[in-house]
Amino acid sequence: MGQTKLDDYLRVIELCRDVETSSANPFDVDIREKILLLKQRLPELKLLDELLVDSEAMLELAQIVKLQDQWLKQRASALYIDPLLIQLKLKLLPKDALSDAFVKSWHPIAQVDQLSPKGLERAFVYWRELTPLSERFKDQFGSYGTKPGVLDYKDLVSLGVFTKEEFEIGLNRLYDELMQKSNGEWVDYRQFVGDESYEVKVRRAYLLAFLISEGRALLKTEPLTGKIWTMAAAEKVKGAPKSVAISITGEN
Amino acid sequence: MESETADRALLERKVRRAFQVLVLQRGRNPGVKGWEMKRHLGREYRKVLEVLSEDVSPMGLEVFEVKGPDGTDDSSRFLLRFRDPPTISEAEMSGIRIDDLAVLAATIAFVNSKSGRVARREVEQFLREKFPKWRVDYSLDRYVKRGYLDQDDRGMVHIGWRTRAEVDEKTLMTMILSRAQEATKK
Repeated sequence: MGQTKLDDYLRVIELCRDVETSSANPFDVDIREKILLLKQRLPELKLLDELLVDSEAMLELAQIVKLQDQWLKQRASALYIDPLLIQLKLKLLPKDALSDAFVKSWHPIAQVDQLSPKGLERAFVYWRELTPLSERFKDQFGSYGTKPGVLDYKDLVSLGVFTKEEFEIGLNRLYDELMQKSNGEWVDYRQFVGDESYEVKVRRAYLLAFLISEGRALLKTEPLTGKIWTMAAAEKVKGAPKSVAISITGEN
Repeated sequence: MESETADRALLERKVRRAFQVLVLQRGRNPGVKGWEMKRHLGREYRKVLEVLSEDVSPMGLEVFEVKGPDGTDDSSRFLLRFRDPPTISEAEMSGIRIDDLAVLAATIAFVNSKSGRVARREVEQFLREKFPKWRVDYSLDRYVKRGYLDQDDRGMVHIGWRTRAEVDEKTLMTMILSRAQEATKK
């Protein structure tokens, strides 16, 4: 029921918008007829939403009246030439004749685009009085967070990301999985830690880093290909530790 | 006698000030609004600008007024512009390509023929018959950015304020029509 009642309104709005977004003649819209129609329908409207649609239709009609005004002014000016004629003429003209016609009717603006001593002075005063970035938004947002740093196992436990038990169980489970998958062979590091979810991927990478640090897993990089390999160690490996930076992204 | 000399000195000072205000770009767009002129030169700023326009005439310049949307003095924009059009080679020296000027000329004529407003896709479609697609897109974006054309949020292209300021549109339309006739005869 509500929809049929609003159909006329929606049709008026759509018609107006079509005219506004094309170069159609705005006089194609019969303003008087549409306003009479809206007036006739108005008493049927009860809800706020319906009344809003009515005002939207009126606004669109007002836009069309504005376009009609502009259209008349343009037609009355000496600039109006039949569109088909001008399109034909433009097609006939070579590019250089077009640009020549433009240049002959062109009066470029003369201006200097440079710093004045006064401008420099203002810039200097502005810079001198500008508060540092760290101080500027302190009132609204408080001080900035701490600088990027390293989260260790204790921090993660204190943040509630892991409990001690979960961490141990997780480490052992990952070690078993790596042992099973590698079975004495190198396996692709990214394939191994990779997962649908970014959070799980980061978690697996973090746990694997622990296994490697403890000497329960090995890591090998190939700088030329960028490949990284890992393998479970049957026995704890001892030796000089090396740091390897591996970025974990959201991509698979 | 003394007051006459003082008046003349004051006028000269104001003319000098008007020249400086007009020639130095302040905001993003060139030119100075009527209300700003009033602030810099006082209520009689139009008289000062008339004197300035005569003074800069020997240098081939003039003070030009572009009426604002509401037609009031305050919304008018005043600019210093070339009194006579440059030659093609002078235009080329300013770094503008002939092809770009041709795109602008065709667009202005096309928009004017469509009662001052036309959908951008229509302009593009029309221009692509004569110019490559990349040049059409590049030039239209550039001219919208520089104020020669205006594009509203519904994708309709209008003539921009800069065209009103720099281009004698009647001359342009007449030239296009007459040149096209010459081209047909050839």
